[in-house]
Amino acid sequence: MEIIEKIKPNKSDDNLTEIQKICLQKLQSSPLPNPKSELWRLSNKSKLSTFLGYSVNEKDSKFDLPYPKNSQSTIRLIIGENCQIKLIEKNYSIQQLSEDELQKYIKEQVSLFKQNENWSDLLNLSLSCKNNILGLKINGSKIPPIEIFSHASSNTLNAKTLVIFFEKNCDVDLLQVNLGKENSSLSQSTFFFLKENSSVNHGVVSYGENRSNLLNSLNVIQQKNSAYNLGSLHFKFNYARFEISIKQSAGNAKTNIKGMQITKKDEQISTYTKIEFNGPNGFLDQINKSLADDKSHAIFEGSIIVPKIAQRTDASQLSRNLLLSNLAQIDTKPQLEIIADDVKCKHGATISQLNEEELFYMRTRGITLTEASKLQLSSYFQEIISFIPISKDKWDLLDKLLNEN
Amino acid sequence: MVNENLVKDVVKEPYKYGFVTDIETEKIEKGLNEDIIKLISHKKEEPKFLLDFRLKAFKKWQKMKEPDWAALGYKKIDYQDIIYYSAPKQKEKISSLDEVDPKLLETFDKLGIPLTEQKKLTNVAVDAVFDSVSIATTFREELAEHGVIFCSISEAVKNYGDLIEKYLGTVVPASDNYFAALNSAVFSDGSFVYIPKGVTCPMDLSSYFRINSGDSGQFERTLIIAEESSSVSYLEGCTAPMFDTNTLHAAVVELIALDDASIKYSTVQNWYAGDEEGIGGIFNFVTKRGKCLGKRSKISWSQVETGSAITWKYPSCLLLGEESVGEFYSVALTNNLQQADTGTKMIHIGPKTKSTIVSKGISAGNSKNSYRGLVKMGTKATGSRNYSQCDSMLIGDQASANTFPYIKSQQPNSEIEHEASTCRISEDQLFYLQSRGIEFEEAVSMMVSGFCRDVFNQLPMEFAAEADKLLALKLEGSVG
Repeated sequence: MEIIEKIKPNKSDDNLTEIQKICLQKLQSSPLPNPKSELWRLSNKSKLSTFLGYSVNEKDSKFDLPYPKNSQSTIRLIIGENCQIKLIEKNYSIQQLSEDELQKYIKEQVSLFKQNENWSDLLNLSLSCKNNILGLKINGSKIPPIEIFSHASSNTLNAKTLVIFFEKNCDVDLLQVNLGKENSSLSQSTFFFLKENSSVNHGVVSYGENRSNLLNSLNVIQQKNSAYNLGSLHFKFNYARFEISIKQSAGNAKTNIKGMQITKKDEQISTYTKIEFNGPNGFLDQINKSLADDKSHAIFEGSIIVPKIAQRTDASQLSRNLLLSNLAQIDTKPQLEIIADDVKCKHGATISQLNEEELFYMRTRGITLTEASKLQLSSYFQEIISFIPISKDKWDLLDKLLNEN
Repeated sequence: MVNENLVKDVVKEPYKYGFVTDIETEKIEKGLNEDIIKLISHKKEEPKFLLDFRLKAFKKWQKMKEPDWAALGYKKIDYQDIIYYSAPKQKEKISSLDEVDPKLLETFDKLGIPLTEQKKLTNVAVDAVFDSVSIATTFREELAEHGVIFCSISEAVKNYGDLIEKYLGTVVPASDNYFAALNSAVFSDGSFVYIPKGVTCPMDLSSYFRINSGDSGQFERTLIIAEESSSVSYLEGCTAPMFDTNTLHAAVVELIALDDASIKYSTVQNWYAGDEEGIGGIFNFVTKRGKCLGKRSKISWSQVETGSAITWKYPSCLLLGEESVGEFYSVALTNNLQQADTGTKMIHIGPKTKSTIVSKGISAGNSKNSYRGLVKMGTKATGSRNYSQCDSMLIGDQASANTFPYIKSQQPNSEIEHEASTCRISEDQLFYLQSRGIEFEEAVSMMVSGFCRDVFNQLPMEFAAEADKLLALKLEGSVG
């Protein structure tokens, strides 16, 4: 009940938006996720209650864009600040979604939500006030890269929502950056709707500071012939969950996912993905990497669902994990649920530490152990980082990660 | 182009072991309560420790809930509507096989398990279990010469009570899960094997389980102990008549391997699977677990699962001893409305432990075939390794194949590799075989057999032949 009280005390029912009311109602009967369900079983309960412990913040303090400073070639948006945007150029347009479009789409999504599976979204939408919802419609090609920031202020719980319609034939690179401040909680929900023939290169980089928490949920619907590439990186969070749900609504679409999570100290970061093929000829290539050090815990759970209609689906999922400390732990659970018979589906999972033979080889060539480990890690990271759009030239993510080590 | 119907015909094959033996049986009344448990214990003339074990398990069972995480859709089981003890009536004491009711011997003859002296299988000792009791065990004297104990668990309770008291419930505790608790409370018979130190069992040991009555459940319990440097190969087979009601089978198997010991446990499970509409069939809820206690000990599970309406079975290995080895080889074939949820658990606790998992699932008709497994590396499992491979083959577009491997590691100095794939019978390969003059039916059979080869190679000789035959039976048929 705490959650419901948390949102309500300052507000009478009249001040709540319709979506907030619907979501609150869905949470009413059981406000917290079922700790016994597969999706929440491994989630650290005390960390989740820390997440929920902060008071809800609706107005952001002034936010300084982190390094790198803006350059002219990218479009930068901050959820909660840039609420008015209208860019109409020769080749492309970026406009805000009308209130009606936004409400209708969110309501449609919420109606399909289940308390346990979509708890993070329900929480987000119950907390997210109008200012913190950004809805966009992107059209055209040769669009300059877009960067969208979400952040949480210290000692507060912040909810940000992003909804984007990618119109037909649209082709865009988009980087989403989630930043956590010290002792803060960020609830970020993202809804993407890719219309026919659209192509989106999506990057998600989430990094926190000391003791920051994140619930990051991403819902993508892909229409026919769309291509969706996702590169993601989560690190430096006391507690973070990244929930991805992708639906190929009529098959015939392509999805590529490359994600990575890095945990240290006593952090817990988990990735849950659910990919559904609701039509034939779907394609999926997914790789998820985890690295767990110190006393941390990294979790990956991925499910691929291929119903009867999804003939000729080609899906593969790989979970690769590095366990670097005696006290750290890794859980991984790739899953396949298949009914269609004419499909090619495979998955794989490995858990190991750095390859000793490779380390030995490098050391015999005069490279120190530290350097050799760094080299190995950089190749491990590079595969994912090079897949994150925009970041490669501007964000020096690799340096950031290696120097952190 | 593959004709879907042809493939369906090929996998459709009537159940050959569905006959009922008309024999007078002694049954107790339906229902489950403390008195029933006391009655079973009394009938079996058990010592007090076993009755206490049963009652304790029953108390635990009453507090437990039937597991639903496997999402198997089956009719709710009414545990009060089951007969927990049923035995064919025969003379009190049997001194030789000649005194066994000929009808029973005939039954096992029909099942391909001849028990009589003239016909008995050479080099395989058989313990035949009919409903709730073991009716005969062959080659006992020969085995006794080597110090090997092979008898029904009821006899073992009487003659080797100390061993039973020491080991029973140490691998699968009564509170382990719902069905294990139920079994611990009401188990009727099963096999007991003890291989003394340094002995390699001179022949394969085998148990054959037969359910005959439609309203009684079968709850057998098997305990195998392999002392230091000993080894044994154990085979298990099961069949049941065709009834339109569901029969519950909840067994517990416990294996214990000490230093340098090795146990190979093979199962060919062919319980009645129900008809095409899913009416009848056995509900098979089995807990099988082996404990590699000793250094360099080895436990190997191999199974061919073709029967049962519901299969819920996860033969596991607890790898405690240094350098101990766990293996799991499985073929699961489901057809019509069968549901199989099977897999394994490899729990690496000791250092330098190794495990291998090879699972092949074939689903046809409207069936559901899932692999569910756990590989866990504990904090002390340094230098341990696991390799898992799960392949599924789908026949027809109504069947489902799921894979749920669960992998957990707390030890950086260990390696886990898992791979899974799903495919169907390739049209190219079928076409190739057919163009070489091989009949369609045989071609499908060959391909399925090839798909399962990795597992069949692990089965003991006597069983490999039976498994091949069984799969062929299920796959051969009237191709029009």
